[in-house]
Amino acid sequence: MSSLNALLRKEWRENVRNFKLYWIPIVFVIFGILEPITNHFLPEIMKSVGNLPEGTDFVWPKFRGEDIFVSLMGQYQIIGILVIILAFMGSISGERKTGTATLLYVRPMSFSQYFLSKWIVVNVIVLASVWLGFLAAWYYIRILFNPVAAGEVFAFLGTYSLWLIFAVTVVLSLSAWMPTGGTAGLSILILLVFQVLDGIIGTYWTISPWKLSTYALNAFGASVDQSDFWMSVGLTIIFIVLLVFFGMYMAKRNAAKTLV
Amino acid sequence: MTQLLQVHELSKSYGSHKAVNSITFELGEGTSTALIGPNGAGKTTTLSMLAGLVAPTNGSILFRGKPKPDIRASIGYLPQYPKFFPWLTALEFTEMAAVLSGVEKRRALSEAKKTLEFVGLGDSMKKRAGTFSGGMKQRLGLAQAIVHEPELLLLDEPVSALDPVGRRQVMNLLKELQQKTTILYSTHILNDAEEMTDQLLFLRKGVLVENGSLDSIREKYANPRVLIEFESVIEAERFTAISPWAVRVEKKQVSIDAVEEKVGTSEVLALLHTESLHIRKVELQTASLEDIFMKVAVEE
Repeated sequence: MSSLNALLRKEWRENVRNFKLYWIPIVFVIFGILEPITNHFLPEIMKSVGNLPEGTDFVWPKFRGEDIFVSLMGQYQIIGILVIILAFMGSISGERKTGTATLLYVRPMSFSQYFLSKWIVVNVIVLASVWLGFLAAWYYIRILFNPVAAGEVFAFLGTYSLWLIFAVTVVLSLSAWMPTGGTAGLSILILLVFQVLDGIIGTYWTISPWKLSTYALNAFGASVDQSDFWMSVGLTIIFIVLLVFFGMYMAKRNAAKTLV
Repeated sequence: MTQLLQVHELSKSYGSHKAVNSITFELGEGTSTALIGPNGAGKTTTLSMLAGLVAPTNGSILFRGKPKPDIRASIGYLPQYPKFFPWLTALEFTEMAAVLSGVEKRRALSEAKKTLEFVGLGDSMKKRAGTFSGGMKQRLGLAQAIVHEPELLLLDEPVSALDPVGRRQVMNLLKELQQKTTILYSTHILNDAEEMTDQLLFLRKGVLVENGSLDSIREKYANPRVLIEFESVIEAERFTAISPWAVRVEKKQVSIDAVEEKVGTSEVLALLHTESLHIRKVELQTASLEDIFMKVAVEE
């Protein structure tokens, strides 16, 4: 237990000192603030700098606060996921490549704890960042649109967090398995390309981790069939557990690949 | 003397390339052993296998007579180029190393401090490893290898990358550690091997070609020759003509194989005296460690 503590402290110090603990939340909060503001002022902005012909009368859709949450999640689904991949794709493969892992691997350290320490710290940073982003958006939505009930927001965040944990687990377990470049490519395939595929041909199935974000939006009154929501949650949790074990196993198997 | 480590027919292949080919040796408790050999001889691979970083293809490693799958708790390992997390301070890193190697949490910090003082990083323990010079990194590497007081210390080229001053300092630290623990270190610098070694293991292309004490290997490869340097080439030629022993002439220098011809300096001097030849010097030459290295390394 004390060695897990020591590893957690190391991960924490790393993320504080390479500023990931600061810039990742800042990125998510900036998006969280910009989304309601731009949507609110879009008609004004278009009017003044949009170069619309004289006399054009454009009817802007009337957004509800809930709609802003939906579009913000759309941003996070692409840009946010990309930030997570780029920030953490080298978590394990990078340590092998630079050889900093060597002095850990020669100790009687458990690779499960090694993987777990990274998994916990990265999840804390990612979840905190995304939550802060949505909470910032919530505040501006309340000012610029209509107040959204706390119950809805937290119900949404709960489900969406499970998808984020899934995303983090994918990136870390791939990092344990492959070099950084491969991790980036495969993470983008699994987390971004599959998302699009699930959107296009996903009408044929209802149980999938990639549908969690859609299910999450149901909290805002979107009309999505919820019947397989819990099955999807269960499947995602199973995937997460399997990927964690896969990551632990791969971290150990690839230990010899560290630069000596 | 009890055996701390017994290595039996240890091999490591990468594809068809045999990096280490069936080596067998033992390390007595409290001894210092040098693993020498040219670059690419398999020194680092051997140490990595003992450190548990690389799984052997074949062979067994017994620790205190027992096969232990994981001896990582009992060893300290210093790689050739230790890499540190640049954003951790020397003290933070050494403390973490101690905890991960099984030192109790409440003792870890004080042990780390003590060890850093010992290796001479007392003033820099609060600085980040990323700012360290090569010599300081090597000392930090030594600190993390000894902070948990391991029974066996594995050092991969501990002084090769250092300047003469740093080398001297680290050698002195190693000599002090030699009193307390068993050391196996690799090097291709023979003076270092000469300075603190009970046993020499000589690797060439993954094969253990020599294994013994420094003296026994010296004796085997000593190849003593009597070397005579004359005043002039003419005198050297005169000596060659009358010499009862087989000689090798090189301008003013004549040398005789002392073992084969069963001859010492006194016989040669006696002959020189009776023939009243003028010489500059007469000496008995034995092979230096470097000669031995060259001989063993390039043999065949």
